[in-house]
Amino acid sequence: MAVEKRPNGAFPQDEAYTGFVRKRRRVGTFFRTLFLLATVLGIVILALLVLDVANDAFGYVAVQNRIDPETLIDRYYKTQMLAMPRTLTSEDDVVLADGIAARPGAIGFFGLSYYQDRSEQLRALNIDGVAPTTDNAVSDDYLLGRPLFLYTSQGNLLRQPQVAAFVNFYLNNAAQVAEEVGYVNASAENLAEGLSQWERATSLTASTVDTLYPASGAIRVAGSSTVQPITQRMAERFQAELPFSGEFSIDGGGTLAGFQRLCRDQDIDLADASRAMERPDVAVCRNNKIEPLAFVVGADAITVAVSQQNDFLNGITREQLRQIFIFIGAERWNEVDPSWPDSAILRFIPGEDSGTLDFFVAQVFGDSLEELPKEDLLAILTANISAGRLRALNAERSLVDRAQEEMVELVLSEVVRPDVVESWSFTESLFNRDEIDAEVATIPNAVLEFKAWLNWDFITSPQSSNPTLAGIRTAILGSLWVTLIAFLVAVPLGVGAATYLEEYSKGSKLDGLIETNINNLAGVPSIIYGMLGLAVFVRYFGEITSGIAFGAADPSTGNGRTILSAGLTLGLLILPLVIINAREAIRAVPRAFREASYGLGATKWQTTWSHVLPNAIPGILTGVILSVSRAFGETAPLIVVGVSTFIVVDPSGPFSKFTTLPVQIFQWTSRPQEEFQRLAAAAILALLFLLLALNATAIYLRNRFKRNY
Amino acid sequence: MALNNSTNSNGANGKYAAEAHGLNIYYGAFQAVRDIRLQIERQKITALIGPSGCGKSTVLRAFNRMNDLIPVARTEGNVLFHGKNIYDPDVDAVEVRRRVGMVFQKPNPFPKSIYENIAWGAKINGYKGNLDDLVEESLRGAALWDEVKDKLKESGYSLSGGQQQRLCIARAIAIKPDIILMDEPCSALDPIATLRVEELMKELTEHYTIIIVTHNMQQAARVSDYTAFFTVKDDRTGYLEEFGVTKEMFTRPKSQVTEDYITGRFG
Repeated sequence: MAVEKRPNGAFPQDEAYTGFVRKRRRVGTFFRTLFLLATVLGIVILALLVLDVANDAFGYVAVQNRIDPETLIDRYYKTQMLAMPRTLTSEDDVVLADGIAARPGAIGFFGLSYYQDRSEQLRALNIDGVAPTTDNAVSDDYLLGRPLFLYTSQGNLLRQPQVAAFVNFYLNNAAQVAEEVGYVNASAENLAEGLSQWERATSLTASTVDTLYPASGAIRVAGSSTVQPITQRMAERFQAELPFSGEFSIDGGGTLAGFQRLCRDQDIDLADASRAMERPDVAVCRNNKIEPLAFVVGADAITVAVSQQNDFLNGITREQLRQIFIFIGAERWNEVDPSWPDSAILRFIPGEDSGTLDFFVAQVFGDSLEELPKEDLLAILTANISAGRLRALNAERSLVDRAQEEMVELVLSEVVRPDVVESWSFTESLFNRDEIDAEVATIPNAVLEFKAWLNWDFITSPQSSNPTLAGIRTAILGSLWVTLIAFLVAVPLGVGAATYLEEYSKGSKLDGLIETNINNLAGVPSIIYGMLGLAVFVRYFGEITSGIAFGAADPSTGNGRTILSAGLTLGLLILPLVIINAREAIRAVPRAFREASYGLGATKWQTTWSHVLPNAIPGILTGVILSVSRAFGETAPLIVVGVSTFIVVDPSGPFSKFTTLPVQIFQWTSRPQEEFQRLAAAAILALLFLLLALNATAIYLRNRFKRNY
Repeated sequence: MALNNSTNSNGANGKYAAEAHGLNIYYGAFQAVRDIRLQIERQKITALIGPSGCGKSTVLRAFNRMNDLIPVARTEGNVLFHGKNIYDPDVDAVEVRRRVGMVFQKPNPFPKSIYENIAWGAKINGYKGNLDDLVEESLRGAALWDEVKDKLKESGYSLSGGQQQRLCIARAIAIKPDIILMDEPCSALDPIATLRVEELMKELTEHYTIIIVTHNMQQAARVSDYTAFFTVKDDRTGYLEEFGVTKEMFTRPKSQVTEDYITGRFG
């Protein structure tokens, strides 16, 4: 045989071989990229799924209260104040001012202008160190002061000369009129700024304003009844002093109604307002392509005053005001501050229908429940719910012992009873804020808030038909119970069967039949297991599964539709999975361990117990994790077995009625209301977190077994 | 009690620790070895050599009924141990294995601590004495004590291959067998570790009888007192070609086949 020069001539040579290697590598690179893409795709799809669910579970909601907390607070404190002993009420500020001036032990409050007329006999008190001056009131620094506004739009000023003319007249004369009707005049600066704003909007100046006259056409005003008297007076003067042949219509309705009519309905030209526009109000305007213009025209301010004969008071704090003016507060001056004299407090306050009293209450006592002391919350609760409900709450836990936060919660859930009337997803909340604001503005008394549907209350509250109060505690507990029983059934049985089949079975025909049977059972649809569970555990063994056989029966569960039935059914459902996985794990234990054990004179059981099973545990646990997750997420068989779809009582043991998290989600998703869809999304997230936590624990345990040696 | 408990008495086997007579072993329909007759002398090393597939491992495993673990295996004939056939129906294989220990081809310590590896066999066999002493004694017996005495709680797998095999030997001698079977104990070890194990085998003959299967003819020549040469013909059934004192067999083999094999002409 001739020796070839190149014995490997059949292989590609040199460059050809290099090229061949490169080609083979390219195939590897191709597949690596393919697998990477598959992985990335999987992660992205999973992330998208979770994000999609999370998107529904967080977002803005429009909440409508059965009763407004402000109204509730206002009503409560007004009643308190009017019920005080030694309290004189009058709708006439003059009566109040004169009454206080004559008595050294008296204190009271009324409009700032009345004080300014009587500063000889009266002393105005600083509140929290801020003096009741015109400037402080307009700038909102003074607790009992607020600026007053006139709102219009640039379009109105340009299109309607009569409106532009009236606003100009208003700003030029506001310096006297506010005081005439009992308010504080706007400062010169405020008015000057208003005028320059007017000039920018109309492109007119003081010298060219005359081109607007003679004016005609309608001037329509609505809004705050606080501001209305100024506008009314101004309109009278405008009609009297300037060449105007049109008609005025001046309505009240409140500040919010004024804003809405100005921007949304666009049936008025000017809006009176006792507060500035807030974000939602501006949003309504912008949505309707209206740029609102605000003019400060005066200020509303209340003076707390004492007589000049009073020799111990110069200033007062908000806290002291609370003690002085409410019923459960102080009777005598020295009860408020020990350095003050031991004499009775005489109070002079405006009457029940007075806007001044409303304003005082809102400012001094606050307008949110969180600010209120516990005792007041309790009084509000007592006054607004039935005696029976009160007894029930008291029986749960003594109301007096509850913390202020709890009382706030109680007042909210029992009296205010907020109801979500509209909700938005996270993306909508993020990108369509203006539209949302506009929509909320159309819902009476609705408040927009950001709500995480998945929150601690949601997890700890029982099921409820009211989506704002509904939670998943019952469902979580039901799920945990059912899964626990399924685990207790499936794991010992499954591992036992797997051990038998792997270690003891001699491969007889019967063993073969069992094996085939188990493999087939793993593929049987879960609903079939549900029917099996219904027939066997619910119907046939109803006595046992309902607990009657143990004398622990609850009449409502006498039909066997209990946690035990469901747990046994799910246990059977996952049994084949546990067996198959455990068999794989047992088979994977090296033969060498078995031989070493037998070689030392160990019996089969000693070998199995000490070497085979411990080394198979990580693999068995992997199977158990998969199976238990399956049981946790199973819905169909439970519905057949007879899970309760609506239940508010926590399961108390294996013989209880129950619901599970997936069933709860299923039930919520089938409801038409959007709020339940959000609850379902939140519950799905909770389910994911729970599964994650269960699996993480199991994996941690498994890794500890693995690490051992 | 079927097996004589005394390790020191000559028993019915006389100077032999074990004897095989007319041993036929089948795997299903296939006969693996035919009519084996072997006499294993006490406190000597008997090497089983031969080409691959000649059934030497099968024969070795017949001495502690390890073949029982293979469902299709069937053994005919007798293996006398203390005058009693270990295949008699009244003999429990577990008892046999406790008296005839085994060391395997690949080191196979349990995934437990070094201490537990040795103590476990004693515990399951009802050992009542001081476990610490037993562990130390066994590790010293396997010439491993000095290397591991400070890390008894560590995993058996933290040791090197040679150390692991000596740990397996220590594990085997911890239950005080009469005979130790070694199935190619050095095939997975490097030359230095091999030498170490071979020295250890010599030391062990002070108390134990050793039967070793080896592919390495030098090893057989170095360590064994007796050698059994197995071979196989076209029917693939192994048989004992020659059995005798090692020195004689390696210098003056009686059979031509043996000579061909030990001189490297086949196998």
